[in-house]
Amino acid sequence: MYSVAEVDQEICGATKCRLCTQFCPEGNTILYDEVKGTAYVAVDRCKGCEICVGICDDLAKHHAIKMLPIDQVKNGFDISKVGFKRTLVDSE
Amino acid sequence: MSLKTIRPATGFKEYLPKEYQDLIDDGPFLRQRKVSELGSFKEAIEEHPMCAGCAMTLFIRLVFVALPSLEHTVICGTAGCGRLAITQGAVPFVYGNYGDTNAVATGLKRGLDIRFKDQPKDVVVMAGDGGLADIGFHAVMHSWFRKEKFTTIMLDNEVYGNTGGQDSGMTQKGMVMKMAPTGKKFEKMDMLGLAKTAGVAYTARISTTNPTRIANTIRKAVLIAREVGPTFIQAYTSCNIEYAIPTPKVIDDARDVEKDRYGFAEYFSDEAQSYWDESEKERKRLRKAAKKIK
Repeated sequence: MYSVAEVDQEICGATKCRLCTQFCPEGNTILYDEVKGTAYVAVDRCKGCEICVGICDDLAKHHAIKMLPIDQVKNGFDISKVGFKRTLVDSE
Repeated sequence: MSLKTIRPATGFKEYLPKEYQDLIDDGPFLRQRKVSELGSFKEAIEEHPMCAGCAMTLFIRLVFVALPSLEHTVICGTAGCGRLAITQGAVPFVYGNYGDTNAVATGLKRGLDIRFKDQPKDVVVMAGDGGLADIGFHAVMHSWFRKEKFTTIMLDNEVYGNTGGQDSGMTQKGMVMKMAPTGKKFEKMDMLGLAKTAGVAYTARISTTNPTRIANTIRKAVLIAREVGPTFIQAYTSCNIEYAIPTPKVIDDARDVEKDRYGFAEYFSDEAQSYWDESEKERKRLRKAAKKIK
C-alpha cells in the first residue's frame, strides 16, 4: 500500500496559486485545470514524495493537499488511460 | 528534431501512443513556455524511473521547460542518475561514454553548425558531478579552453548516487558516505573558479528553491552559448537516498544548503555582459512594439 497526493479542490480553487505544479519533480503529475482554477493529481504517476504537501503547507500556507492511501482515492485522474486534458470538465 | 519530424503523416496519428498524440496537440513546441504555465500543457518529459522526491528530477523537468527552442536542441549526457530522466524527454539525447561528454558535444555542435547554417541549434551537456568534474574533467576543461559554443549543466548531488555512495570530487570535505567510511579527505572542487579561469562566458551556481529563477538562468546560459562562448551552470540537486533526506524535506534541505554555502551566484564575462544587455534591450523593444500593435 502506498499513498498519493490529493488536492482539496474547494480550498485550492479559491487561491489559484499554482505553486505545487512548479515544485513537483514528476512531469505532468500535478496538473492545472484552467476552467475550475484548481490543481489536480494524476494518481497513476504520483510517487508519493510529499514535496507538494510541504510546499502547500509551508510556502503557500493553504493546506489544500493531503496524502491518501491509493485504495481510498475515489475517481482519481488516470493520465495513462485518459491522456492529457486541459480541464477535468470534459472528462467527467 | 523539428516539429515536422514530430508530426505524423495524415491518417497515422490515431495509431500512435496516447502520450505522443498529446505531445502533438498540447506539447511545448514552437513557443517558449513559462514556469507559471506548468500543469496546463503536455510536458516534454515523460514518466521516468528516478527515485520519489529527487531534486535532480525537479531540476531536469525545469530544464525541459526552460530550453529556448526545444525542437532545435540536442542534449548530451553520460552514465549517472540524471540520464534516467533525461532520456524520457522528447528531445534527442546523445549518450556520450563516461569521460567524453563534452568532446561528443563539441563534435555535435560543430557538425550541426555546418549542416544548419541559418537555424541555430543548441547543444546542452547535462550530466552529474562525477561525469563532469571527475571522469569527464579533461574533456570539460578542454571544451572550455577551445571556447566551444554550448552549455554545460552539472547536476551536482555531491555523491556517486547511482553506484551506492562513493565520494566524488564535488563531495564536501569530511563527509562520510556508505562507500567512503573514513570520510572525504579533500576539499570540494571549485568548478566555478576553474570555469572563470578557463574563460567561460557565463557561469551560474543555483539550487532547486526557485523554479522561475532556474528557468531564467538556463535560458540565459543557452542563449549566451549560442552567440558568445561556453557557459556553465552548477546546480545543487541533493541525493535524498545517499544523504538520507526524508522526501518531504528535500526542498527545505535545498533552502538550508542555499543559505549556507550554495547561494545563487552568476558571472558574466565582459563580452557576454554586453551581448546580454543588448539582447535584453532588443527584446524589450519588440515587446513594446507587439503591445502597440495589439
